Amino acid sequence: MNDAVFIGFAGLGLAVVLHVIFVSMTLGTGLLAALYRWKAYRENDAWAELFARRVFKVLIVSELFSGVWGTIITVFLAGFFTAVTALATNTLFIPIAIAIASIMIRIPAIAISWYTWGKINPSTHSLVMWIMALSGFGVPFGFRAVFAEINNPTAVGYYLQTGLNPGWMPYANPLFWTLYLHTVAAVISVGGFVAASLTALENDVRGVKAGLMLGFGFLAAQLAFGPLYWYSLGQYSPLLFNAVNTTYGPLFGVKLVAVAALLVLGYMALKSARAGAIHPATKWLAPLALFTVVAGEVLNDGSRYPNLVLAGDAGLPVALFANFYIEIPMPAVYVILAFLILSLVVFTTAAFYALYRRFIAEVPETE
Amino acid sequence: MPDPSPLLPLSALGVYFHGVYISLTFGLPVAIGVMLWKYWKTGDKDFYRAARLMTAVLAVNFALGAITGTLVEFGLVQVWPGVNLAIATFAFAPLALELIAFANEIAFLILFIVTLGRVRPPVSLAILALYAVFAYFSGVLITAVNSWMQAPWGVGPVAQVLYPFMPEYGPNAVDVPKLVAVKLAAVATGQPISLIVEKPGVAQEVGVVLKDPMVAFYSPYALVSIFHNIIAAILIGLAVATAGWAFRYFKTGDQKYLKIVKPLAGVFAVIFVIQAPIVAHFMGEAVVEYNPTKFALMEGAEKTYYNPIIALVAYGDPNKPIVGFDQFEKACLSHGDKTVGDLIKAVGLPNTLTLQSAGLTVDFSKIASVKLADLCLQDLQKAKAYMPMIHAAYYTKVAFAIIGGLAAAVLFFYFYRAPGLSALATAIARLFGDERRRVFILAILLVLGTVIPAVAGWYVREVGRKPWTVYGLLYPSELVTPVPYSTSPGFLAFAYLVILAVNIGGLFAMYLVATREYKFLELLKKGAGVRP
Repeated sequence: MNDAVFIGFAGLGLAVVLHVIFVSMTLGTGLLAALYRWKAYRENDAWAELFARRVFKVLIVSELFSGVWGTIITVFLAGFFTAVTALATNTLFIPIAIAIASIMIRIPAIAISWYTWGKINPSTHSLVMWIMALSGFGVPFGFRAVFAEINNPTAVGYYLQTGLNPGWMPYANPLFWTLYLHTVAAVISVGGFVAASLTALENDVRGVKAGLMLGFGFLAAQLAFGPLYWYSLGQYSPLLFNAVNTTYGPLFGVKLVAVAALLVLGYMALKSARAGAIHPATKWLAPLALFTVVAGEVLNDGSRYPNLVLAGDAGLPVALFANFYIEIPMPAVYVILAFLILSLVVFTTAAFYALYRRFIAEVPETE
Repeated sequence: MPDPSPLLPLSALGVYFHGVYISLTFGLPVAIGVMLWKYWKTGDKDFYRAARLMTAVLAVNFALGAITGTLVEFGLVQVWPGVNLAIATFAFAPLALELIAFANEIAFLILFIVTLGRVRPPVSLAILALYAVFAYFSGVLITAVNSWMQAPWGVGPVAQVLYPFMPEYGPNAVDVPKLVAVKLAAVATGQPISLIVEKPGVAQEVGVVLKDPMVAFYSPYALVSIFHNIIAAILIGLAVATAGWAFRYFKTGDQKYLKIVKPLAGVFAVIFVIQAPIVAHFMGEAVVEYNPTKFALMEGAEKTYYNPIIALVAYGDPNKPIVGFDQFEKACLSHGDKTVGDLIKAVGLPNTLTLQSAGLTVDFSKIASVKLADLCLQDLQKAKAYMPMIHAAYYTKVAFAIIGGLAAAVLFFYFYRAPGLSALATAIARLFGDERRRVFILAILLVLGTVIPAVAGWYVREVGRKPWTVYGLLYPSELVTPVPYSTSPGFLAFAYLVILAVNIGGLFAMYLVATREYKFLELLKKGAGVRP
């Protein structure tokens, strides 16, 4: 594998991991914010309104930056892996269209939810918030179908054999459904833990409890979805299954330990919150939950190396899909990576001031 | 070949909506910067409030710009997957560098929003300036890619081989036989290019097609387009901001809004002076040189004719003729009896091309007898069909740009005193009624004088290069998706519905953010323990 192909693979991996960190935070917190905004409107609950707004700050700060990494994934794919991009768009047209439509609804709905808060009728605002929250789950509904095809090319295989477009066939891929359920439960769980950690900084016991109920509840659901996905990998993607259990076994073990720790600490924190206190471990639940997500994504994608696509017992190497139409200017690629790190520093500074130093007030400035 | 016609308007709709938000993304930072500057210098809170409100509008607008950008980007790779070959070659460097621009643009915008009002105005101005630098850099790079599609810099004489009336596009940085082979493979098989490039291993087998990946940056067409497009977008954003505050002044008569309109109108006029007579002129010259058919369409030149004014503007020489399609047809006929087979021989391609990795064998003998002159003339006929629309769009653009320029001048000299000119401006402005009405109407003319030229100008730029998507090289049908239901009524209805609903809803939301007061904050204030 030459330098350009390796950098393309590694860069793609980095972009996917960073994107997944942000979307894991925002999909779950978005759902929680919509739920409590709605409760506030229905029950005239002032705390619920404040909590929803407080949790929503995570989205307003990080959703656009999360989107940047989605764009970076696309450019890495199209620029470094021309064949796989052309093949995916020609065969997985419907899943990609679903993902794009969901992105188109989701991102403006976030900005609209924040900036019209207090300016439009609460019932209409609640509806916009629900649209924002639910549209987010359409994005993995599209893109996870692409990931499932990379590990078990059912629809793509049909296309390559017959030349016919597979239409909705990606959704008949058994790996998709277990991956999607695993993903949805993970992001809701992470969102709950992020909300709990964030509100713990504000000493809001009720907020901590609300976040933990969601986080712990969906982590418990993962006890079923995680093994189910692992089992389905064994059935439909034996190469990936073997890599996860052998070469990447240590990382898999660390992930399982992290999940176990999250379960224990989450339970203790929930018990404390129910008793009206904030457990000291609460603030560590968000980083721990995000670590499990990162570990899971590295296992899911990195374990394919040096292949990009796995088909049963055969792996298709990255180089088969790589861009050889130009000699990729590596200095330019390093400059780009350096500037992307700069953007991460700037974003982290903004997020620190917004969420930790509370520069973004819950109540908008009216004067 | 699949018929791309149902997808062209869909793509255009996405691009136009993106254009709306990009204009505000480029113009609003200037307007916000002016307000912050005034606030810093005068301490007047009205300027700070104006900056804060425009920042809220910018945030919603940015989200819409980002998603329509995503739509355009995915539109390229999904609806026009043949473009993947361009992304892997000529567009690689601009799009890869665009990641720098996009990521930092968003990071600095978030930092600006988070810190506005919490740090001193000069610090906010510095963060805003950094955001704007990356936003404009993004515009530079995307315009470079679009310009390559208008004038494919780096292919040297390749386009000229089939179309003798076309110029050379810079140095020859391509492997000509490979580029011609890809094009002819699409023609001979009747398949879009994506069906060739999607096959695993094809890129490895074909090898290097473009020798200089940075070549798109050296294009003079790109250089002038960058200035032309970015300044146009800034002007639109500024015009909309000016009109928004002028509307508030019109509705309320409150002098604080007039105070905001004045510096915005001033900055608009200064930038307009750079755009209209200088940058637009160089843009016109680039079109004359690199897009001969587009220029003929703009000027309605079915036949070559003489017009000293147009010739002076276009060539700097009133005696030169406006070259029409008759001359292009003559150039096509200069091919004589040469055929595609002769071209294949001249380039050194075999009669049968085999791509083992793709399992593809292309028999060029099917198209070998086609005459080059016939192909050339066919494309000219296709181009000529666009003449009435392009001609009308171009002159509509010119007319409204003149209206915008006049309105800018009147508003400028109405606000800023200059002997003689201000008296004239005031006399003209009075024709529109009292001060509230005259400021509002002039501001509306600024909007019309920038938006309509931009809409018509983009139409001329994009449709004027037809029948090619990449001028002189590739047709839309060679780049379009082969997925059959992409043109089905169901998919098209779904796509139009999502695009229209999101964009119309988004624009309405921007209007609400800009105009509505906070009316429903009691519960939130109660929750936060804020006393009413």
